[in-house]
Amino acid sequence: MKTRSNLERVLEAGQFAVTGELGPPQSADSQVIRRKAKILGGHVDAVNVTDGQTAVVRMASWAASLIGKEEGLDHIVQMTCRDRNRIALQMDVLGIAALGINNILCLTGDHQKFGNHPMARGVYDVDSIQLVNIVRDMRDEKKFQCGDEMAVEPCLFIGAAANPFADPFEFRVTRLAKKIAAGADFIQTQIIYNVDKFAEWMEGVRDRGLHERVKILAGVAPIKSVGAARYMKARVPGMDVPDSVIARLQGVPKDQVSREGIKLCVDIISQVREIEGVAGIHLMAIEWEEVVPEIVGAAGLLPRPSPLT
Amino acid sequence: MEMRVMDYTKFRLKPDQEIREVFERVNQIFILSCGKCYRKFEEEDGEEYTRLLDIVGEDHRKIAGHAMIDFLCNDFLSTRRISDLDLSHCDSVGVVSCGLGVQFLAKLLEGTPVYALADSVPHSVNCPPEVGYHGISLEEEKCAACGQCYLNLTGGICPITNCAKGLLNGPCGGATDGKCEVDSSVDCAWVRIHQRLQKRGEQFASEYVQLRDYSTPSWKLRSDLSLQNQTLRGEGFYGGFHPLDKKEATADKQIEDFAEPQIAVIFLSQHAGRRSQPSVEVGDKVRVGQKIGEADGFVSSAVHSSISGKVIAIEARTYPTAPRKELAIVVENDGKSELDPLIQPREDFEELPKETLLEIIKESGIVGLGGAMFPTNVKFSPPKAVDTLIVNGCECEPYLNADNRIMIEHPEEILTGIRIVQNILGVEKVFVGVEDNKPEAMAALKRLSDRSPSVELVSLKTKYPQGAERALIRAILDREVPPPPKGLPFDVGVMVSNVSTLLAIYQAVVKGVPLFQRVITVSGEGLTRSGNYMVKIGTPLKDIMQYCFDKNVDRILEEYDVRMGGPVMGIAQASLDSSVIKGTTGLTVLRKFPVQASEERDCIRCGRCVEVCPMQLYPLFYGFYGKKGDLGKAMEYKVEECVECGCCEYICASKIALLSFIRQEKAYARSANKG
Amino acid sequence: MLAVQIKAEQEIAPLISSKKLFIFECLGCRDVYYPVEEAEQFIAGLKEGVVGKASLDYLCHREFTHEYIKAYASEIEKAQVILVFSCGVGAQVVSSLLEDKIVYTCCDTLYLNGFQGLTVQEFDCDQCGECYLNYTGGLCPIARCSKHLLNGPCGGSQDGKCEVDPDIPCVWQQIVDRLAKLGQLDTLERLGTAKNWNVSPVS
Repeated sequence: MKTRSNLERVLEAGQFAVTGELGPPQSADSQVIRRKAKILGGHVDAVNVTDGQTAVVRMASWAASLIGKEEGLDHIVQMTCRDRNRIALQMDVLGIAALGINNILCLTGDHQKFGNHPMARGVYDVDSIQLVNIVRDMRDEKKFQCGDEMAVEPCLFIGAAANPFADPFEFRVTRLAKKIAAGADFIQTQIIYNVDKFAEWMEGVRDRGLHERVKILAGVAPIKSVGAARYMKARVPGMDVPDSVIARLQGVPKDQVSREGIKLCVDIISQVREIEGVAGIHLMAIEWEEVVPEIVGAAGLLPRPSPLT
Repeated sequence: MEMRVMDYTKFRLKPDQEIREVFERVNQIFILSCGKCYRKFEEEDGEEYTRLLDIVGEDHRKIAGHAMIDFLCNDFLSTRRISDLDLSHCDSVGVVSCGLGVQFLAKLLEGTPVYALADSVPHSVNCPPEVGYHGISLEEEKCAACGQCYLNLTGGICPITNCAKGLLNGPCGGATDGKCEVDSSVDCAWVRIHQRLQKRGEQFASEYVQLRDYSTPSWKLRSDLSLQNQTLRGEGFYGGFHPLDKKEATADKQIEDFAEPQIAVIFLSQHAGRRSQPSVEVGDKVRVGQKIGEADGFVSSAVHSSISGKVIAIEARTYPTAPRKELAIVVENDGKSELDPLIQPREDFEELPKETLLEIIKESGIVGLGGAMFPTNVKFSPPKAVDTLIVNGCECEPYLNADNRIMIEHPEEILTGIRIVQNILGVEKVFVGVEDNKPEAMAALKRLSDRSPSVELVSLKTKYPQGAERALIRAILDREVPPPPKGLPFDVGVMVSNVSTLLAIYQAVVKGVPLFQRVITVSGEGLTRSGNYMVKIGTPLKDIMQYCFDKNVDRILEEYDVRMGGPVMGIAQASLDSSVIKGTTGLTVLRKFPVQASEERDCIRCGRCVEVCPMQLYPLFYGFYGKKGDLGKAMEYKVEECVECGCCEYICASKIALLSFIRQEKAYARSANKG
Repeated sequence: MLAVQIKAEQEIAPLISSKKLFIFECLGCRDVYYPVEEAEQFIAGLKEGVVGKASLDYLCHREFTHEYIKAYASEIEKAQVILVFSCGVGAQVVSSLLEDKIVYTCCDTLYLNGFQGLTVQEFDCDQCGECYLNYTGGLCPIARCSKHLLNGPCGGSQDGKCEVDPDIPCVWQQIVDRLAKLGQLDTLERLGTAKNWNVSPVS
């Protein structure tokens, strides 16, 4: 064990892991976090706390994680390169480790253009792969990016994202390999609706033996409405929603669509579970956290191993 | 004034190790290096390549060849230069240039690995995205092109490129003794701003400066502008530029008859070739249109009196288009305007054989009125068959409207002129090229074009020098005339004639009137009577200026430049003592620029002359070697192919008198070729 | 002068109200991009305030600008404010030559490809000082990727387009395509380490 991460423990034990996601509020309201954390507690092994997702200003990921931690959850702090240069990033890495947070997910970040401050200056001093590398060197070499040494290293279980659906497809496995080479311990993928394409990507991953060097959690999410499915298909960069998914949702009466969306999610979980090399799922039910227990249960993934305290 | 010329060289060789790594990856590599830009042009520079050889040591055997290309990023010219190279046995290409050159080559040679052997050089105190660019001239000031200029708040000193933190609201706490905390050799921008504002009695705005909007200008706007710019420059033909045409001042002014001069000074040399021989003597009485000079040999032309009166002198007078005196017949007007009785209209001109038509043109003293003044009868007897006539109605020089007005007011005559030339040349296909800034002329010709189905009107993009024969032929027919001085339009089966010349041909053949008058535009600055005038050949420039300027013209040249022709190719007059010749397209009067083109200034290798040269030459070398007095060197850069359109001098960022060098070098080349 | 946009009138108006103005206009880079007509309209709107105007090529050329300042000395003397129509470089040169005059610019300078318009190109070079083109098939990720990524496309690349704007081609897609063509896909495995943004200028 490299860290005290519950997620690492579950994965190392060879159990099929479940991570959830928690979006901090666009306000200073701590109750929102507590409420969501309560719902997720006991149903996931760790929960991602997003870092200004879609470039909208929200409560800082590390702060929301600290609040959520009081509810007994293991947290994965997401950290993007959009808003901080390497100095700020390393400072925050030290901070979250010192606060007892065990996991980090390194991301490049959604472009500022998409958020509520499109006029902001993007930083992108380093990219996600470089950030993974920086955090790994801090943990394993006790070194800052500049080469200076530190006394106490940040013990973080390091994650990175992978998108099997973005272009160019051929490069997607290579990019994963680079993230592993840079030091990623686990990978969470983009939300999967096109299971065939995901399976194809996993085949490429296995061909290179990458699944043995990193824990891959397949991203899944329930869809609430046909409109949401259409929006994701058309407007969310790097998202692959096959027409068959939209057709399936359209095929049920209107008041049944959200139920169908939950069923679809459970189906996808059972499909990806069959794929060799998938070590768990990352369930993203953003602003719909209350369905997480149901989905995890229906997928036969309960009970979760109890976390260490 | 003391100039500090900064060196803004854009690249330097990569670290040795990286270069060796590239050489480990290749077997046969061709090296292309760029001649560098934006630095004082002192020596031709192959320094990088020599150093490269040192670095790679034994691996130099992998170098299959080396070529130095000036302005490698000039994709049009460089593509041509590279297509002349044999790269077939190379597995890769190494490039010593900035990122533009490498990217251009990577695209051009898509199947071949292209390696950068140099890194670009940042010239900014800040890191990207705050790249500060320098101006065309190599001064210290830089601009980040942020799209939201703050200079109005900061006394004209840019805080974005000069402050290490790009601060907009005053200095940070780090400046010591007026120096920046980041680099103590650099003045704190905000200390300078403060001092500047104090000097001006200005205060820095007390309300805080708004946050910068980094989302603007958008990527699309920028790339659209870049693309638009590239397209605009590439329109029709390579090179050239878009001057402010300034034609509005006289575009709507009808052609007026200019008063006959009291004294006409009629030069015997108003054409390319040998000077004509006077056929009158002092004291002789002459009539309007009477031949007073006889063509002397094949390439020569007759000269006619433009007024009736008495020959009072045959003597050398100040010539308008060359710094010398030329023999002229001086006629004193008797005020009677008696016409030469030989002038008779011809009813039967449609039936006349080619030889007769050519004889009439010759006897009427017609030469190319676009300015070149080549005898038309000679031009129309080409040694090779031509299949196409192009009528040049471009008049691409700014200010001038003579051809424009002729097309508007005399379209019928032009079309008849075209028919006559068709008969002479035996050509069926005729194109009339008109720049798209002359819609009225186009409409006038169009109204009549039904009657002449073989005549096709072509609207051309307004771009200088669209009216240059080669550019015109390229734009209309996409045919490439072989390079001058040997190559001529008939080599590709084309004859080009100017609309003024066609009007003169009409006058001569149909009306029997020889060439003793022409339409000129008088335009420019400070004139009270600008306009288009039918003037008698030999009219003193002083008469014209007196009328159009309407003030005492004795000292006009102190304040104004008077050019015979347009502002680009026109010849600046040292005095008003000369007179109108057949090649006078107009007189352009411009307030004297405080800065004149000079032979002294240094080239900064900005590459603009290369971008605008329609002959695809590298004019900077004419100035560079000309200044050194190494006139023969220009021949290596094909100076004989230059058509003296003036684009390079016009655009020159250092205002170097390139045309003056070019003329010297061409003269040198001519004598070298003879000897 | 390069590419400029004329500033909004309301930004300039309060600076120059009822002042006597002298105008410098740079036409040197007009062929790159200078909105001549818009500038003329703007100047026409200033009417009686204008005591003189000099149009010249290459306002950034200190010597030229100096000569013009001498030639127009009396008008400049009369003016309370000097208005400059040029890029930021030209405005700064005028400002430094007329240190005790109030000099305002009427333009915002835009960015064009090819050293910000000095060498207008389809391509761009940010002069970052560490050329990566050897690993990217000759396509620059610093200048052309919205996030300046050195390690391949982010997750937003789809159908060859950048997530930021469908008008922007994803340069990493182009890089992968180019490297595939060259048989150099292995170079993608190379880890682009954190970039040194502090490359020194000419040493």
